[in-house]
Amino acid sequence: MEFVIEVEDLRVILGGAVILNGISLRIAKGESYVIIGESGTGKSVLVKCILGLIKPTSGTIKINGRDLNDLTQKEMLVTLLRCGVLFQGGALFDSMNVIDNVTFGLVYGYGKPVKEAYKVAVEKLESVGLSPKIAKVFPAELSGGMRKRVALARAIATNPDIIFFDEPTSGLDPITSAVISELIVQCTKGMGISALSITHDMKSLRHISDVIGLLHQGKKIWEGTKEEIDSTDNPYVRQFVAGATVGPFTHATHAKTR
Amino acid sequence: MFLVKIGEIFIAFLVSIGNVAVFFVKTMLAGIIPPYYYKQIARQAVQIGYFSLPIVGLTALFTGMAMTLQCYTGFSEFTAETAIPSVVMIAITRELGPVLTALMVTGRLGASMTAEIGTMKVTEQIDALKTLAVNSYKYLVFPRLLASVTLLPLLVFINDIVGILGGYLVGVYYLDFNSANYVHNTFSAMTSWDILSGMLKGSVFGFIICLMGCYSGYLSKEGAEGVGRATINSVVSSSILILLLDCILTFILF
Repeated sequence: MEFVIEVEDLRVILGGAVILNGISLRIAKGESYVIIGESGTGKSVLVKCILGLIKPTSGTIKINGRDLNDLTQKEMLVTLLRCGVLFQGGALFDSMNVIDNVTFGLVYGYGKPVKEAYKVAVEKLESVGLSPKIAKVFPAELSGGMRKRVALARAIATNPDIIFFDEPTSGLDPITSAVISELIVQCTKGMGISALSITHDMKSLRHISDVIGLLHQGKKIWEGTKEEIDSTDNPYVRQFVAGATVGPFTHATHAKTR
Repeated sequence: MFLVKIGEIFIAFLVSIGNVAVFFVKTMLAGIIPPYYYKQIARQAVQIGYFSLPIVGLTALFTGMAMTLQCYTGFSEFTAETAIPSVVMIAITRELGPVLTALMVTGRLGASMTAEIGTMKVTEQIDALKTLAVNSYKYLVFPRLLASVTLLPLLVFINDIVGILGGYLVGVYYLDFNSANYVHNTFSAMTSWDILSGMLKGSVFGFIICLMGCYSGYLSKEGAEGVGRATINSVVSSSILILLLDCILTFILF
C-alpha cells in the first residue's frame, strides 16, 4: 500500500511540556484520516509538525515517502505546494479580497500568471458552491460558512495531493456543517485527495472519515474505522463518542495534558 | 539574590538582541533570493512614503515655526537675530528633522506594522502563508524593510524643506525679518553634510522602526491583548532606540 503521510514515534516538547509523546500514524493514498481527542491534547500540533510549521523534538515524518528532516528549504516549499490546508478560522488574508485569497498560492507559490490563476480560482469557487460575484468581496464581509468555503477553495486551488482540515465545521450551524462536510467528501473522494482532519463534530466525523485516531495526553490511544468506532469496547472512545461526563476522561486528566 | 536577578535580566536582554539579529538575517536571506515581490514593495513604499507625508509635513512646519520664535526670544537679548536662520536650519536638518520624522513614523507605521503582522500571527495567516509555499519574511518583512530604509531619508529631506519654510514664514511675516537676508543667512550656513547626515540618520531610524515593528508582530500571541502588548513594546522600544542611536550617531557624525 502506498502511504502519503508516515509519522513514526513523534515527540514534541514545547516550553518544557510534553505535547506529543510517541505518535505514529500512516495515511494511505486517497484515505481520509480523522484525529479526535480532547481540547489541548496536541492534535493541531501534530498537523503543524507534519506541515513543517513546528519542529518536532524527535521522530520522523515522511510526506510522499520523503523524510522532512532530509529536505532543503526549497524542497520543503515544493512539498508544501502539494498540500492544502483549511485552518480552523479559515486564516483568509484580511487585506485581500476573495479572488486574491484563492489565487495567492497559485501566483506567489507556483508563479502562475495572474489571469490564468483567476480562471482556476473562479472554477474552484464554483466547485465549493460560491458565485464568482463575491470575487471582489473582502473576508470580513462574509459569513462564517462562506469564509470556510473560500478557505476550502484556496486549499484545493493548487490541486494538492493531501489536504489538512483543522476543525472544518467548528462555529458553524448544523446545516452549514453538513454542507462543509459534504464538500470535504467531494474534494477528497471526488478528486482522489488524501486528507488528515481534526474534528470534534461526531456527525462530520462519520461523514468524512475512513480511519479515526483518538489522541489522549499526547499519545494515540486508539485507531479504527468509522464502523469500528461504534462497536469498540475502548472506554475512552465510548465516552468521547457519547460525550459522557463520566469515564476515563476526567477534568483532572484533561488539565494534566498541558 | 539581587545579583542573580540582574544576571537574569542581562541574559534575557542578550537573548532578545540575538533573536532580533536572527530575525534580520532570516529576512535578508529570504529577501535577496528571487522571486521578488515588486507589488508588495510598491504597496509598502506608498504606505510608508506617500501616506506619511501629511503628518511629517505638519510636524515639520509647526516645529520650524516654534523653533524660530523660541530662538528669537533668546537671541534678541544679545542682538544676534541674524544667526536665527542658520540655527533653525542646522537644528532642523541635523537633529529635529530626522528624530521627529522617525518618531512620527514610529507612531503611525511602527504600530501599524506590529498590529497587522501580530493579527496575522494570532489568526494563523502567517502559517497559511507558509503552507502556500510563501516565505513570510520575504513577503511581509523584506518589502517593509526596504521601503523604510529607502524612504525615511526622503521623508527627512521633505521635513527639512518644510521645517525651514516654517521658520521663514514666522521670521519674515511675523518677526519682520528681511526676506532676502533670511534666505541668504539660511543657505550661506548650509552644507551638503547637514542634509546628508540627517538623511543618513533617517535611514538608520527607518531600519529600526521596521525591524522592531515586524519583530514585535511576529512575537505576538494570546489574541487581541497580545497584539496590543506587542504594539506597545514595538513603539516604546523603537522610540528609545531612535533617541539612543540619535545620540550615538551625533557623536560619530559631528
